[in-house]
Amino acid sequence: MQWACHNPAMLTFVAALACAIALDAAPDVLVSRQLAARAHLTVGDTVTLAADANGARARTFRVAGVYEPTPDPMRFTAERIEGRLHLPDLIALTADPHDPASAESVNTINMTLAPGIDTRRFIADLASQAPGVTGWPTARSRDDDPFVVLDRFHLAISVVTVVGSTAFLLALMVIRAEERRDTIAILRMVGISRRSLLTSVAVEGLVTAIAGAIFGVALAFTTEGLVNRIFQTRYDTALVFVRVTPALAWRAVAVAAPLGIAAGLAASWTLLRRNILSLFRR
Amino acid sequence: MPASLVVEARGVSRVFPMSAGPVTALRDVTLHVAAGEYVAIAGPSGCGKSTLLHLVGCVDTPSSGSILFEHRDVAALSEAARSRIRLTRIGFVFQRFFLLPMLTAAENIELPQAEAGVAPAARRARTRALLEYVELVDRADHLPSQLSGGEMQRIAIARALANNPVLLVADEPTGELDETTGEHIADLFDRVHADGTAILVVTHNPTLAIRASRRLAMKSGSLVA
Repeated sequence: MQWACHNPAMLTFVAALACAIALDAAPDVLVSRQLAARAHLTVGDTVTLAADANGARARTFRVAGVYEPTPDPMRFTAERIEGRLHLPDLIALTADPHDPASAESVNTINMTLAPGIDTRRFIADLASQAPGVTGWPTARSRDDDPFVVLDRFHLAISVVTVVGSTAFLLALMVIRAEERRDTIAILRMVGISRRSLLTSVAVEGLVTAIAGAIFGVALAFTTEGLVNRIFQTRYDTALVFVRVTPALAWRAVAVAAPLGIAAGLAASWTLLRRNILSLFRR
Repeated sequence: MPASLVVEARGVSRVFPMSAGPVTALRDVTLHVAAGEYVAIAGPSGCGKSTLLHLVGCVDTPSSGSILFEHRDVAALSEAARSRIRLTRIGFVFQRFFLLPMLTAAENIELPQAEAGVAPAARRARTRALLEYVELVDRADHLPSQLSGGEMQRIAIARALANNPVLLVADEPTGELDETTGEHIADLFDRVHADGTAILVVTHNPTLAIRASRRLAMKSGSLVA
């Protein structure tokens, strides 16, 4: 049997379960949605729980409810076969009757420190005053936090994607500028200045880039639900895998707009720097 | 130089560097066009007519000699200054019309005015007047692809006149048109000339050339008459 403290008020219990004869006075147990589905449990059913695989000191409980486990990104691939008992019931279930002190023992206490208290110093003080008690912070340091590593990985992917798409955009803009070669030649011939042409290209690039960014954000918003549904189904979790936030949307626009303008200007400059007559196709 | 001269070419040569060796398109050409004058240049293909037109039109600069446009040495001007001259002092008419295909006839005429900073109301009025001038008011909202060749050339002439230029330069303006339509364009050039605008036209079309007050011929990069 494994158990772990997830909440000061509740304990999470993971065990093998078997259906048993109903007893009116049975204490309540909450079972996770996944456990309820696997064991075909419904509210009102009775179950027998034991603290070890041999079924020693088994007790009967009544299923009082089914809950959705809090999504945990660190365990999203794990099946959430879990139940929750009231603390006295859990103690009664797990305490060794030959050891009077066993009902009094605890493995873990979650503590919240007041703002401003140094965690490491508190742990050091605790260790010096209570030998044998080990403390550790639940907040991970930035360097070994797997989500920080994941963030860096995402950043690297996004940089590669932006660089690649910028090169692609630049190539497209150069092709488009080349298609406009005659038009540019005519405009310059009749006296439209380079500055005006560059301004119009910049405006066009800005509009195109913003339109592209808006399309991308709209596509992301649209597919967000689909992606989440696929992975939530795949891993049987309520975890949200993708979330397009307003900050992300603005960042996309903020990156796309200057890149679009720059690509447009760079592509157009290949024509504008040339002699007018060389632009006319023979 | 007399104050009435619009443009003057003094001993102008133009050499184009090519991979197979330099090509001399113009040799020591001297030419002047006075205000309100109508000059036609004829000559065989490749004799340098268009090159001369580009130099006179401030599109290109000579390899040697000088081009003076309204007393200013074109070679000494910046690209921006030459661009401003082309916009406000010179009108261009091309053999292949070169209207912007995505703009309507009226928008093609409005474009140079907008670039010159003409106020919207004023340029709409000017565009309307020019459409009446070339008798194409009913085609104002048509795209170039919806116009005939003659109509496109009339719109191109209206565009060239948009900013009241002192000089209209035309490169084979009837080259893509049938004889009757070419006559209409020639009539239109007569009207432009009568209204006081100087015209320099290079053409193979004798019926157009004969209307000029001064006719010149070119051969192998030189003026011969």
